Amino acid sequence: MMVTVTINDTAIEVEENTSVLTAATQLGVKIPTLCYNEHLSVHGGCRMCMVEDTGTGRLVPACSTIVTDGLVVDTESKNAVEARRFIAALLLSRASDSPEIQELASELGLDPNSPDLDPVSNYLLNRRPEREYTKCILCSLCVRACAEIPERHAISVSGRGMARKVVTPFLKISEMCIGCGSCAYVCPTDAILIEEAD
Amino acid sequence: MSKLTPDTLNEIRDRMQHGVILREGEGRAKIVVHMGTCGIASGAREILTAFTDTLGPLGDDIILTTSGCAGLCKHEPMATVQLAGQTPVKYIDLTPAKVRKIIEEHVTNGSMVAAYALAVGSERLS
Amino acid sequence: MDQMSLLVCGGTGCTSNGSLEIRTALEQELARRGLAQDVKVVTTGCNGMCGRGPILVAQPEGVFFHSVAPEDVPELVEAYVIGGKPPARLLYTEEQRGPVIPKMSEVPFYAKQQLIALSNRGIIDPENLEEYIGRDGYQALSRVLTTMTEEEVIDEVTRSGLRGRGGAGFPTGRKWAFARAAVGNPKYVICNADEGDPGAFMDRSIVESDPHAVIEGMAIGGYAIGASEAFVYIRGEYPLALARLNLAIEQARTYGLLGENILGTDFSFDIKVSVGAGAFVCGEETSLIASLEGRMPEPRVKPPFPAQSGYMGKPTNINNVETWANIRHIILRGAEWFSSIGSETSKGTKVFSLVGKVNNTGLVEVPMGITLREIVFDIGGGIPDGKKFKAVQSGGPSGGCLPESKLDTPVDYESLTKAGSIMGSGGLIVMDETTCMVEVARYFVAFTQEESCGKCTPCREGTKHMLDILTAITEGRGEEGDIEILKTMARNIKATSLCGLGQTAPNPVLTTIRYFRDEYEAHIREKRCPSGVCKPLISYTIDKEACTGCRACAISCPVTCITGERKLPHVIDQTQCIKCGMCFDVCNFNAVRVE
Repeated sequence: MMVTVTINDTAIEVEENTSVLTAATQLGVKIPTLCYNEHLSVHGGCRMCMVEDTGTGRLVPACSTIVTDGLVVDTESKNAVEARRFIAALLLSRASDSPEIQELASELGLDPNSPDLDPVSNYLLNRRPEREYTKCILCSLCVRACAEIPERHAISVSGRGMARKVVTPFLKISEMCIGCGSCAYVCPTDAILIEEAD
Repeated sequence: MSKLTPDTLNEIRDRMQHGVILREGEGRAKIVVHMGTCGIASGAREILTAFTDTLGPLGDDIILTTSGCAGLCKHEPMATVQLAGQTPVKYIDLTPAKVRKIIEEHVTNGSMVAAYALAVGSERLS
Repeated sequence: MDQMSLLVCGGTGCTSNGSLEIRTALEQELARRGLAQDVKVVTTGCNGMCGRGPILVAQPEGVFFHSVAPEDVPELVEAYVIGGKPPARLLYTEEQRGPVIPKMSEVPFYAKQQLIALSNRGIIDPENLEEYIGRDGYQALSRVLTTMTEEEVIDEVTRSGLRGRGGAGFPTGRKWAFARAAVGNPKYVICNADEGDPGAFMDRSIVESDPHAVIEGMAIGGYAIGASEAFVYIRGEYPLALARLNLAIEQARTYGLLGENILGTDFSFDIKVSVGAGAFVCGEETSLIASLEGRMPEPRVKPPFPAQSGYMGKPTNINNVETWANIRHIILRGAEWFSSIGSETSKGTKVFSLVGKVNNTGLVEVPMGITLREIVFDIGGGIPDGKKFKAVQSGGPSGGCLPESKLDTPVDYESLTKAGSIMGSGGLIVMDETTCMVEVARYFVAFTQEESCGKCTPCREGTKHMLDILTAITEGRGEEGDIEILKTMARNIKATSLCGLGQTAPNPVLTTIRYFRDEYEAHIREKRCPSGVCKPLISYTIDKEACTGCRACAISCPVTCITGERKLPHVIDQTQCIKCGMCFDVCNFNAVRVE
């Protein structure tokens, strides 16, 4: 069955069970993503792809929202744009040295040195307390890639909240790892290094 | 225990109906110690022991049982004492010494210990 | 109408005075007025007051009638049973022995409560199934299995207006209908007993005092949606509730009330108990299901809702403990009865754990629509030690703090949301004038930040930044503009978080800013904590005039930073003081000042 969805005033007919993100891509509408990869299961965690459901006025993640017939979406509403900038600033506050996140933030108009920076972004980029250095943004692409491509389950997420980390079982060299490099390949921030074993 | 049917369920209900209200032949008094987590944390186990110990041989025609929290956690440990055919009395902030006095004056001699009592009667059901 | 019993004395004395005729007359009169189902007539043992027989005691109020004649019965039913006013001439009042002890209905804590979910509390032994049966236990299940279709059950629950008591308030009947209509087999029923809010113990108390009420509700729900397997997901920190629940399930199986062919019908249903490991996020239904399946407890995007794809991808219906405990009463007494209690949009009663700076801490069940003021001041007995009320927080760590001006808010889902708070699962924390509202906001954000699973960016990173800012403010490092930053962050975190935890975590910050902005400003601009709570912003000094030189403070000071001769004013060395407040607490002359 086909359903009709309207994105930024353009209607399109898509198959049932299509995500807003896929429909938008078909229309040529670009929505930034980080934890999404079309070959892996949907995570819905990074919240980078928030768009506005005009009907309810609520923000929804494009990657994991399935279109229903008659859905109207605005990817450029004031709230959606503000939300995505907020998410980008949060990620930059975490992985401030990641060139990829810096670039994404800059595409969304976030410049740490701009005098016009809004107070929240200014806090997140310039005033926040220093954090432990990391490039990992916890998108979990590596965990899903390892589990779903070679089906090795060599890494997983451990801990909760700010203590959340991607780890190998018991923090030891994983016996399940075959060194395929899928994890490093999908990592959007180059946080995983592949080293030759001795 | 054979499995219940709607009829045998009704039989148990009729037999147990108003288990709270003492009927002839069921005993002279019923004492309920309120033992939710709050009650136990405030010492309800000591209160239950005090009732058991003090009642001793007196206890043959007295039903001593427990139930969950009575709601007023601030005044735990609490117990409800009901003599046959009379209205229940809720006692609050109990200590083993108070328990001994309640048994002596209320359970044995039939006059409630007003100083330890919060109220008489039961809660309003909807 | 209250469930009333009339206890006719059947002792030897009263029987010879004609009490059996009184009983017959009562039964006839009640039947004539169609009250036979609502009022029970019971014969009891001797009351001991044989000289004034026949004796009649009306429960639950405990009204004592004496010398009742058959011709008094119509008046008694008319005036008391229906009108609530006992005929004075039948009341036993004179010659009462001892001081007068109030009736339960006269004790303010109990007077405004109305019990449905807690109707067996303090009455039955939770470890004795037959006592539960004696209070009409499993009668609702029996009626459902023998006389009602699945649709009729769902229709009854829908018409009752019952809404989820776990917090979100989704109509229970509609939830059941979705699960029933969903395609997939088998279907599952889950009871959410993972009560994790600080200061909340509603579900624990229900399971501890009346576990069969939950089991019976679940079995009825299972029948209605077409499920024969169920789970109770209960907090591991509730050992007593867990033990009583396990025992109750065992007993129910022994009696054929769980298991194969329940009550001799072809309905089979059983319950497994799963113990949680202490993650607050497991209260969120998709996280709870992940945990049940043995996976990391993380929420996922809805839809699909659990009704479509829940446990093991099958249609699943989750309700919370209190919701399940209401079901049997709705079946037995009907949707009309249930919906006659409560407010326009919120029907029935709600259980609250009333804690904090309030005289009567405890567990209360009140009709929806009652005001916060009635709960705090009438039932709760107001604020201890003559202090002033400052705020009440409803809905646990994700609820809002409402001030004095909002005390007349009726307790229902919509009104609380409009005031900036939520119904939540039923925690009510009362705060007095010695509570710092910035510190309260900081405390709750610290809790939600600690309990955030970390899957989505705004809840994980955003609440941490809010916590940093709030901590800075309480330590005197707040900057002009921080309030606006907090408000904007809060709005964005609510709008972008994946699950209810992140979507509500900023509520305490938003409401404390909305209602107590002056406290934030005092911390930020004047580096002053008006409530004298935030340690970096306060100092203890001794008033020379008031100090008697008794040395109590000097002796108790753990860092011995108070000096002074006996009978002469003492002095606190500010460079050494750790602001523990000990001197303040021990001073009998109000000579220690907090600024």
